Parts: sequence; C-alpha cells; structure tokens
Amino acid sequence: MEYRTVRTICTYCGTGCGVLLEVMDGKVVGVLPQKDHPVNEGKLCIKGWNAHEFIYADGRLTKPLIRKNDKLEEATWDEALEYVAKRFLELKEKNGPDSLGCFSSAKCTNEENYLLQKIFRAVIGTNNVDHCARL
Amino acid sequence: MADTKENFEPKIIAFCCNWCSYAGADLAGSMRLKYPPNVLPIRVMCSGRISPHFILKAFQKGADGVLVTGCHYGDCHYIKGNYITKRRVTIMKDLLKFIGIDPRRLKSDWIAGSEGDKWARVATEFTEEIRQLGPSPLRGK
Amino acid sequence: MENLKKNIKNMLESGEIAGFLGIIEEEGHPIPFLFTSEHPEKLDEMVVPDLRYPMTDILLTIVRQYPDKPIGVMVRGCDDRALVELVKNQRILPELVRPIGVACTKEMAEYCRCNQPFPREVHYGEKVEGVKDRSDLEAVERKPLDERLDYWMDQFSKCIKCYGCRNICSMCFCEQCTLEDETLVMTGQAPPEIPIFHLIRAFHMAGRCIDCGLCEEACPSHIPLRSLYRKVREEMADYLGYVTGQDEYEKDPLEFLGSEGYEIPTKIDET
Repeated sequence: MEYRTVRTICTYCGTGCGVLLEVMDGKVVGVLPQKDHPVNEGKLCIKGWNAHEFIYADGRLTKPLIRKNDKLEEATWDEALEYVAKRFLELKEKNGPDSLGCFSSAKCTNEENYLLQKIFRAVIGTNNVDHCARL
Repeated sequence: MADTKENFEPKIIAFCCNWCSYAGADLAGSMRLKYPPNVLPIRVMCSGRISPHFILKAFQKGADGVLVTGCHYGDCHYIKGNYITKRRVTIMKDLLKFIGIDPRRLKSDWIAGSEGDKWARVATEFTEEIRQLGPSPLRGK
Repeated sequence: MENLKKNIKNMLESGEIAGFLGIIEEEGHPIPFLFTSEHPEKLDEMVVPDLRYPMTDILLTIVRQYPDKPIGVMVRGCDDRALVELVKNQRILPELVRPIGVACTKEMAEYCRCNQPFPREVHYGEKVEGVKDRSDLEAVERKPLDERLDYWMDQFSKCIKCYGCRNICSMCFCEQCTLEDETLVMTGQAPPEIPIFHLIRAFHMAGRCIDCGLCEEACPSHIPLRSLYRKVREEMADYLGYVTGQDEYEKDPLEFLGSEGYEIPTKIDET
C-alpha cells in the first residue's frame, strides 16, 4: 500500500499550472492542484483536472509500427528509428530541409518538445515546427 | 412575440401527483369548471418524485411560475412522499429568494382527488399572482 | 511536534494503523503523503502547514483500494466534520479510521471564517474560538431582488465549468454526478447553463456542505460559491434543525424520513 503525490506541471497549455499527480501503488489515479504554486495558487481548469486521463487510455500505441505494403506492421525501436533517420536524410538531400516539418503534442513533456524542435532546427535545418496547441 | 409586462401571458408548470391532485384536475374538467389555459399540468406518481432539478429546469427554460401539488398530509398513496416535498419546496423557495428570483413564483399546495373546485381556484389565483409579478427574469437569458 | 511524530511512529510500528495520511515537506512544498511502517524515517519530514488539502478525499481514494486496512489521517475541524458525514453516509467504517486532530491557529480561523476550527479530539495545537461571520450573506441580503439576480448572474457568467468545486469538495462522492447528466443540464458546452448549473450544486449541498471553503479556494473565477452553500446550510438549520458534521447518528432530513418524518417545517413562508 503506497500513496504519494508528485509535483509536476500540467502539460496542456502554456500557462504551466502546478499540479500534484496522485500515485497509488505505482499507478496515477488522480490530480490535485498544488496549493502553493505561484502560477495557479491551487486552482485548475478542466483540462488540468483531467491531466492524468490520457496515461492509461485505450488506443495508445504500445509498439512502434512501420507501414509496409499499405499495412501497419509491428517493428522494433531500432528498426523504426533507423528507418526514420534514413528516410529523413534521403528527403533532405532530394527536396531540401524545408520539405520536412514536425508536429508536437501537449501530452509530451517540455523536455521532449525541446529536443524535437532542436533536432529539426539544428540537425535538419528547418523551422517548420508546430504544436497541437496552435489549432 | 415580445411579452411586455402589461399584456404577457404567464406560463405556469404544475406538477401534480397521480393519485390526488391530478385526479382533482380531472374532476375540475369533468365539472366543466373554468381555469386559465396558462397552467400546464405534468403528472408524476407522487409529489415526492418532484426532484428540485425539475423545478430548476422549469425556471431555466422560461416558466414564469411553478406549482407543486400533492395529496393532503396523511393521505399520500406512498405514505410519506408529501412530507419530503414540503421540505424540499421550503428550502428551494429560500434559495430562489437568495438568488434574486421572487419566491412567490414557486408554490406548493395540497389538493385531494375530490377537490376539483380547489384545483380550479388555486390555478386561477396563482395565474393572477404571476400575472401581477410579470415575466420571469430568466426568460430569454 | 516531536511527540506527535513519536506517537504516529508507535502506532505504525505496533500495527494499530497500516498507514498514516499526512503532509510531507518536499523541497519546501507541503504535499499529501501516506506514511507507512516500511519507511519510518519519512516521518521526520512531516509538517502541519498553514494550507489545506482535501484529506478526506484522499482518504476515500485509499479506502476504495484497501477497504479493510485501518488508516490514520490528519484532520482539522473541517476534515473532522467531513468524517462524521462520511460515516453517516456509510462511505467509511468508523473503526477503520483513526483521526489525529490538529487545531487551527487564530489566523487560519479568521482566514477561513470558520465557526469550529478544531476537531472533536485535538492532539496537536491549541483550540481557538470560532468566528461567527455572516457578513457575506448580509451583503447579498441587503440588495433588492432584481439587483440580487443581476449580481448573481454576473458572478455565474464567469464560470468556466472546470468542475473544480465538485472535484475538490469533500462531500461530493457520488458515482454519477448530476452536473454531467444530459437530461437535467445541458452538457458538452462551456460556459455552463446559468443559473441552473450552480443552483443544482447549491441544492445538493443542502444537508451535505460542511462549510470548509475549499470550493471557493479552488474556483479560478473567484465566484462567491461559499455564500450560496452557507445560506443553504443556514436554512437547513433554521427550518429543519439539522446541522451537518455534528452528530454521527442524526440523519439528513432531506433524505431520510424514518418514523419521525411526520414533521412539517414550522417557519413556512406562505406568501
């Protein structure tokens, strides 16, 4: 029997409200607002109150998938990453770096989003970087 | 169809319990007693079935007045339903007054199955009262 | 404070409780935590802070997973009233909950305008007198009726339908909430339908609200919800003589009739 709360920041919009994730025996079961956080002072919007719902949602991918012959087939992480890197470099050679772009998500951590835009800006050399919050 | 205070027709929802007050309303009809067409009866099995949600929804959707009728004390077909209704209506009236809706727009009365004339009288008097009070402030919001 | 920690450590080690729900300080931030006998050293970081978390809500989460383990919990006056009500509604078994009472300081009692800032049994802190403050209700009652409606519709129109008031309320434990029922309230749209959205919640708080004030603290739009629920609580006390959170055996007169149900409220406004 283990219950603890973990301080984190809500991943949804750019406000950055302080959120406590309730963790029971290793599983996230709920959300509480962090009362002494300077940004939200113990208040949350409806997205913040349900910030934990997507973690165990049905339909989340569990394995990398590669499209072969018009069908999505399971692959290993190594295969998938090799394939992506190879194709990106090919397309960058053939059509220039601006033919590639990336689309990130509010459900990724801030650190993951930073890495993604850094790869596209510095390594691939394009600024076609976007995020689902802009819709 | 703008209703000004002078020529508006009140819309009143009357919740009637099946065994007593709806029978009373039926009797008023059989006796050919006149009462205004502004009163729209809704039959429920017992006045205790009338959840406060129904009253609130009636006001939200534009009713000018709500009438809650049931059996007399001790006559309820389900023994105690009307006692709980009275408690609910009392608390609801004060809550409406606190919000700024005139508590006279909600009325509860006990009408037996044989009191057709009482039904006609209560309906007529309540319609007049609501006509004086004017249209509900929640209309059109 | 050291005494309190020692007592709790003893209770954990002797097996009297399987866990103690309290507040731990992590890098200067007090957050809820369940102390167990597996890590007794964590008790050194336990604090009794000036801010409040909904301890009974968390207790219900734990009890749902482990319904037959005795659990200790840190309670203030408001949490204790919630415990009384939860026992009454058969959500927790009284023999499986060990409340450790903490009395609030005078500053906290004045901030919360609390009329009972201490639990039934106090193990830490000194009891202070409650604050009897009706000024928020009087400010509304002084206005004439149409001004009142304008004021409330103005306040309700700020609502963003975050359900924060319901999520953080210690007494909102229904499995199916009316506020999400599409036959009674329009769902799938924000802002909500006013005033029915808030009036439904206010009426549900009749016979349930313990006047802890967490709802107003959780509202991002600063709607004065607490005055609504306090008014309903006052009406229940005036008309039906029922005050929530006092007695574990007194049943809510809006839900239970029993054999004493044949009473008609005496103060009836028949206008």
